[in-house]
Amino acid sequence: MAIVDLMPFSVLAPLIASGVVALLPGRFWPWAITLLAAIVATVIAALTLPAALESTLSYPFGNWPPPIGIEYRVDAANAFVALLVAGMAALSLPWAKVSIDREVPERQGAFYALFLLALAGLLGITLTGDAFNVFVFLEISSLATYALIAHGRDRRALLASFRYLIMGTIGATFLLIGIALLYMMTGTLNMADLAVRLPEVQHTRTVDAALAFIVVGMGLKLAMLPLHLWLPNAYAYAPNFVTIFLAGTATKVALYVMVRFIFTVFGGEYSFTVLPLAIVLMALGVAGMFAGSWVAMFQDHLKRMLAYSSVAQVGYMVLGVSLFSAAGLTAAFLHMFNHALIKVALFMAVGTIMYRIGSIKLQDIRGLGRQMPWTLTAFALAGLSIIGVPTTAGFISKWYLILAAAEAGHWWLVGLIVITSMMAVYYIWRVIEAAWMQERPAGSPAVREAPLALLAPTWLMVALNFYFGIDTRLTVGASTAAAEALLGVGGLMP
Amino acid sequence: MLTLAHFLTLGALLFCISVAGIFLNRKNVLILLMCIELMLLAVNINFVAFSRFLDNMDGQVFVFFILTVAAAEAAIGLAILVVLFRNRSSISVEDIADLKG
Repeated sequence: MAIVDLMPFSVLAPLIASGVVALLPGRFWPWAITLLAAIVATVIAALTLPAALESTLSYPFGNWPPPIGIEYRVDAANAFVALLVAGMAALSLPWAKVSIDREVPERQGAFYALFLLALAGLLGITLTGDAFNVFVFLEISSLATYALIAHGRDRRALLASFRYLIMGTIGATFLLIGIALLYMMTGTLNMADLAVRLPEVQHTRTVDAALAFIVVGMGLKLAMLPLHLWLPNAYAYAPNFVTIFLAGTATKVALYVMVRFIFTVFGGEYSFTVLPLAIVLMALGVAGMFAGSWVAMFQDHLKRMLAYSSVAQVGYMVLGVSLFSAAGLTAAFLHMFNHALIKVALFMAVGTIMYRIGSIKLQDIRGLGRQMPWTLTAFALAGLSIIGVPTTAGFISKWYLILAAAEAGHWWLVGLIVITSMMAVYYIWRVIEAAWMQERPAGSPAVREAPLALLAPTWLMVALNFYFGIDTRLTVGASTAAAEALLGVGGLMP
Repeated sequence: MLTLAHFLTLGALLFCISVAGIFLNRKNVLILLMCIELMLLAVNINFVAFSRFLDNMDGQVFVFFILTVAAAEAAIGLAILVVLFRNRSSISVEDIADLKG
């Protein structure tokens, strides 16, 4: 059986499993089947990647040839993102068992079913080659995500979830309006077909409006700076496992959709030379880097601090896209992958602290370094990665971003990237300082080290951060291929 | 004679009303949900009009998808509001803004 025929199963496996899991009672089987589905999706995505690096794969549904039928169209860019999404799900699920038993004690079947729907939606967005299908899968994953966030134990989780629902729906509707305008101008919704037909009608205001709507809509889902307001609260109050999964996947997939539309559907040439997208994205990216890091420096709630740091990291990715060069896009995809590794590791460490002491305020973790050394060491090492210390994954993506900025002649950007990295040193250092340099407040109960079920997955993620900081063949190779695939279709690069 | 422009103007008007509703509304979160529904309906009008004037049925199929999505969205939004209301007996926007850690 050719790998092309297996591709739909990476979406179908979680989708079918969610139906099964929803009906299962108890605590073990829902989790086990969820993990199994995530592993199946990961294996298929891992098998697809080498084939997609060589040539574009296409799976027509029901044997209806595209553009009439819907197809899954996979090239290096989406094969890489699909592997990232499925892989992060599979890597974070072992961590989830103990944590979810505590945070969602009842009706775990429904919880895991929602998780699987979110996973299936994200994978569907990534693999599909049909613009309307993107919207449908986006809604499947978003609706499941709203419900997942509302599972948080803090009652503010409901408020955060509602706010995300409002903003997320506006984002999805904007995307839909953009797609509707494209449909009006061309009468087709297949992305490859759109790319062929759009140049004929490209000089109309309708197409300009379509691009604007799609960029704003995905900017909302991506938490690009002025549209990021939903993210800190949603991350802060969701159950820890949900935060880990969202931080590793949701914003990355939104960035992928934005990039796919900008480069493949509209063509980079049109987006960046006819329309002033470069300056807009660059300004928002730089502003996001600064504002996110700045606010993160003053947060006492650790999850909220990491959430603002995510806003900053999204800024780096958007900056990479805005350079409109192979090097810039490579850096954006690299950072997409590496930031997922970093944030999953960091949120796992923070979630582990929360599991033990029930709070993650900065004043409550004072002196915790001696009582939970393994957890805090994992946090510190993953922190090195987000700062961008050499031999960590974070260094690789920042290095490529600096190279891309220098290649484009924007030397001032290099300075800005270094400055925002210094800000990351500060907010990571505050945690380390509190945990090791300060005394445990008198009267606070003794805390034991976290259980191995939480520590082992956390340390695995930390190890991956260092592995991908040294062996970059997979990440750099796939990111370069992704950038070439995106620039090759629409934009003509020198 | 009705032309495509008429329908698009209607869609644009509905869209503007919904955006204005989201930004101006300071009292009731139910109205926020309604505004979002209205925004999706504005898109629906566009799709139906395009489908009619392009002689292409696809657009009308999409409308059914969008209606389903809108219903699911409203269901989740209302479910969250019901739980919230049980906790605090108020659904004003000011309370929703009360998210400080």
